[in-house]
Amino acid sequence: MNDVWQANWSMMTPEWIVLAAAIVLLLIDLVMPKERSRRPLAWGAAAGAVLALIATAAMIPADPVSILHDTFRLDGFAKAFKLILLAGGALALLLVAEWEPKEGSHYRGEFAYMMLFALLGAMMTASSGDLLTLFVSIELLTVSSYVLAGLRKTATASNEAALKYVINGGIATAIMLFGMSYVFGLTGTTNLGDIARELQETNEPYMLALAFLLLLIGVSFKLATVPFHMWAPDVYEGAPVPATAFFSVVSKTAGFVLLLRLFVTIFAAAPAEGRDPSSLLLSMQPVITVLAGLTMIIGNVVALRQRSLKRLLAYSSIAHAGYLLAGFAAMSWAMIDSLWIYLLAYVFMNIGAFAIVAHIVNETGSDDLAGLAGLYRHRPLLAAALGLFLLSLAGIPGTAGFIAKFYLFIGLVVTEPGHYVLATVMAVTTVVSYVYYFNLLVQLFFRPASLAPLRRLPAGLSTAVVLCALGTLAIGWVPDLAYDVLAQFGHFGDFLP
Amino acid sequence: MMNLAWVVPLFPLCSFALLLLFGRKWKKASAYVGIVATLLSLLAALGVLAGRLGGTTYEANWTWMQIGDVTLTAGFSVTALNAWMLVVVAFVSWLVHIYSQGYMAGDERFSTFYAYLGLFTFAMLGLVLSPNLLQAYIFWELVGLGSFLLIGFYFYKEEAKAAAKKAFIMTRIGDVGFFIGMLLLFWQTKSFDYDDIFRAVGDGTLSPGMTTLTAILIFIGAIGKSGQFPLHTWLPDAMEGPTPVSALIHAATMVAAGVYLVAALFPLYEASEAAMMTVAVIGGVTAIFAATIGLVQTDIKRVLAYSTISQLGYMMLALGSGSYVAAIFHLTTHAFFKALLFLAAGSVIHAVHTQNIEEMGGLWRRLPWTAPLFLVGALSISGVPLFAGFFSKDEILAAAWLNGSVELFWLAVAAALLTSFYMFRLFFLVFTGEARHDGDAHEAPMSMVGPMVVLGVLSVASGYIQTPWFGSFLGEWLTDGAYHHEAAPGWIAVVATIVSLVGILLAWLMYGKRTVPRDWLSARAPHGYELLRRHYYVDDFYRWTVVALVSFISRLLAYVDRYLVEGIVRLVTGTVSAAASAGSRGQNGQAQTYGAVTVAGLAILVVIFALTGGYWL
Repeated sequence: MNDVWQANWSMMTPEWIVLAAAIVLLLIDLVMPKERSRRPLAWGAAAGAVLALIATAAMIPADPVSILHDTFRLDGFAKAFKLILLAGGALALLLVAEWEPKEGSHYRGEFAYMMLFALLGAMMTASSGDLLTLFVSIELLTVSSYVLAGLRKTATASNEAALKYVINGGIATAIMLFGMSYVFGLTGTTNLGDIARELQETNEPYMLALAFLLLLIGVSFKLATVPFHMWAPDVYEGAPVPATAFFSVVSKTAGFVLLLRLFVTIFAAAPAEGRDPSSLLLSMQPVITVLAGLTMIIGNVVALRQRSLKRLLAYSSIAHAGYLLAGFAAMSWAMIDSLWIYLLAYVFMNIGAFAIVAHIVNETGSDDLAGLAGLYRHRPLLAAALGLFLLSLAGIPGTAGFIAKFYLFIGLVVTEPGHYVLATVMAVTTVVSYVYYFNLLVQLFFRPASLAPLRRLPAGLSTAVVLCALGTLAIGWVPDLAYDVLAQFGHFGDFLP
Repeated sequence: MMNLAWVVPLFPLCSFALLLLFGRKWKKASAYVGIVATLLSLLAALGVLAGRLGGTTYEANWTWMQIGDVTLTAGFSVTALNAWMLVVVAFVSWLVHIYSQGYMAGDERFSTFYAYLGLFTFAMLGLVLSPNLLQAYIFWELVGLGSFLLIGFYFYKEEAKAAAKKAFIMTRIGDVGFFIGMLLLFWQTKSFDYDDIFRAVGDGTLSPGMTTLTAILIFIGAIGKSGQFPLHTWLPDAMEGPTPVSALIHAATMVAAGVYLVAALFPLYEASEAAMMTVAVIGGVTAIFAATIGLVQTDIKRVLAYSTISQLGYMMLALGSGSYVAAIFHLTTHAFFKALLFLAAGSVIHAVHTQNIEEMGGLWRRLPWTAPLFLVGALSISGVPLFAGFFSKDEILAAAWLNGSVELFWLAVAAALLTSFYMFRLFFLVFTGEARHDGDAHEAPMSMVGPMVVLGVLSVASGYIQTPWFGSFLGEWLTDGAYHHEAAPGWIAVVATIVSLVGILLAWLMYGKRTVPRDWLSARAPHGYELLRRHYYVDDFYRWTVVALVSFISRLLAYVDRYLVEGIVRLVTGTVSAAASAGSRGQNGQAQTYGAVTVAGLAILVVIFALTGGYWL
């Protein structure tokens, strides 16, 4: 008990802030008169996330620490990804503040603090040094997400989304736990560092490979990659827009955090079965490569046929997960760096796009593509901003999306041996993605306006759009801004325990 | 002055930003913002050119991003080639800005048009100034974006929307080649800088195979942008854009970017015989291929579009034949006379409100400025002696001959014959004979005529910067004095002259004097005629193959993803869940499917793993 009290709890300051904000908001929501607007609660939640972001940034220079028997690690990797998670969370909370469903926004307070709990889970995942904490934190994120998906309690689509999310999430959890149990069985410990050390001498590479496959499939649920991608379009479509934005950015980032923590730590050092003397992780490269390729192809090609904006963005987010997984499959010297940059860019461009979609859904009650028709005529700046986000998602130069994709490409091509097939799949599917992104641009710029002019963006959404646009442009034109932040973490040299 | 070259693209960028923000308030005054901005660009470009005349190449770079131990730089350079290009681009852009004031008058999105023009001009100037491939690629894409917005400007026309998308996506197919080639070069040389790449080519760091591969990959990008066979089909469709845009983007500047790119990377191409051969053959084939299609088109702008493709083919032929100077020379003269032809065509369209040449005729008297100016452009492109086109085309023919590619030389001569024929077919049908349209046709306002007069003068004068008689200023300038004019056989100029005059004579007999019936070709070779009229069925070919295939795969995958897998699962769980799934097809059935797919995926992986025992490959 003693070392629990003596632990350096200040290392968890950002987590404390988020937790405190969530609990305080929960209490306020409880005692607040029913008829009062809950909008300030959402703003308060966003402020909490921003505060935690500042606290995390302040801790960047600190040396890597590990407390509570190595279950909580605060290394460069944890800090770097918490920055992304918190930025994404704060921006998604701005969307919550302006969420206007048809049936009224009675649950806005609940929305805000449930999102904070989910965010807390994601942050803890980034800092976990133990299978147990890793599992508990990812479940905190996931279970809170189920609630977020079903927040529109009277809307069937939202209920359906939540139910599908729970069922699929349950299967994923079961598969992942099954994999973890093998790992535990082989090593007798749950600590990631100890597992890695134990596994160096394992003589059960066969069992370990089975564990690897189970874990990979379990994690692919969080990433929304093949073969666990099919839930995403339904859930994204049914869930409230701010929740969708949160899933597509924060949950996905948390999934990649889990992937990196778990796989790079455990499997990079373990020997592989058979002739190949290198590690198990490298011997599994072909599996990851194939899954990444399939994800890119399915996401981009099926997106071509979508009419609903949310569904389209869901498939596009599957495609982006595919690009990211391709970056992971490359296992280049700059793998974590390139994934970080990509996820950062993705936060800005995707939440930016969702903010504008949220406004359109608020105003028209529908998320059909036709809602974008002629937006440029009444709201040229709004259309220009959405155009920017779409160009960035498509990876056109001058935007963050290009820099991020370019970095992944470099990783694919420059490693030995180069992953030309994967790079080609990425290039070709990117061209396919132009078709649907440019379809949207045609709607925006080249259609006569068919609907009544939209109102101005409310404060929360316009803040989100402006921040996202600035982020997208800044990384696009001055990528060193992002690389300078990255350099602070010394390319994650302290990643392995 | 050269150290300030970076300001050249900034003026149009400011114009774009200002017009985006305030264009709606300023309305007609928007034009002046654009015109002044491009004028400032032009003056700055002239200053840069003057600086380069008295100095040497200038380059400035700063760190753009740091990836691990690789530093990527951004900057600008002033070489002979790009100082020259800056002036050409800024000049044509300025004239088009002035012309558009008359042409676009009354359009309710007048200021938007000028904003897009500013964006395009910025990107094009930025492309020219780039000292490395990555930066060039970035501006290359932005240029494409500007073109996309401008082609789709008349968005109420379905064709315009379709054409805008087609242009963007077709050129992007080429850009994938460019991108991969660029990354391969980076992988091999650890740099995107032109200079570093040339050094690597020189000292053998880049293996001959890699040199050929990257050169050809990058050339694929140029094929897309410059509308070369087989990625040319977007360019005729791009004529849906406003005519000043066709003049600026799809005749004088953007489509020439492919030629410019190959020229800028010329040392890379020179190092690979196969790549040079590819460039020359694609260029030569495109030149004749597009010219034959141009013979039978009835839309005035489409004739000019095919003619542009054909002339760009000439430039590629010159590059592939090793004559960098001839290519840039023709690029310059073509920029002037083709811009002139397009602007004159715009003036005709402005007057008669149709693009169909069958509905024109007898406009010579009604358009006292446009008609003679169009004639000057037509004479120039046909290569009639003393006009600019004569000198530059002669230079290309000589280059092809001296390079020893006899077949390509005769191909180019044949294309020259066709060029003068279809240009004068156009001229006689539009300006002579009886009027086949009703209503009044008036000459355009001075804001449109002025730029045409300037271009008319240049369509003659620009030829004299590089002639066998007065010296090869351009050649010496582009090669820093190392240029020596290889004497081409004198008969080439004679053949070129005869060929162009024969073409004009034939056109006159058929469409002017009408002694030869017009349906001479369609009557004698109906299939050949149809083949030409349908552009050799290339578009149909793409529609029936590539587009159909992608759309088929898309449907198939959507189908597999949604129904087929579900069907299989239904089959498996058939009897048990038949009643349940029938009642709840929407919800539970689907969620089970998703889970089943996941488990199936896992099972497949495990089975493969078990069967191969860990040997994946």
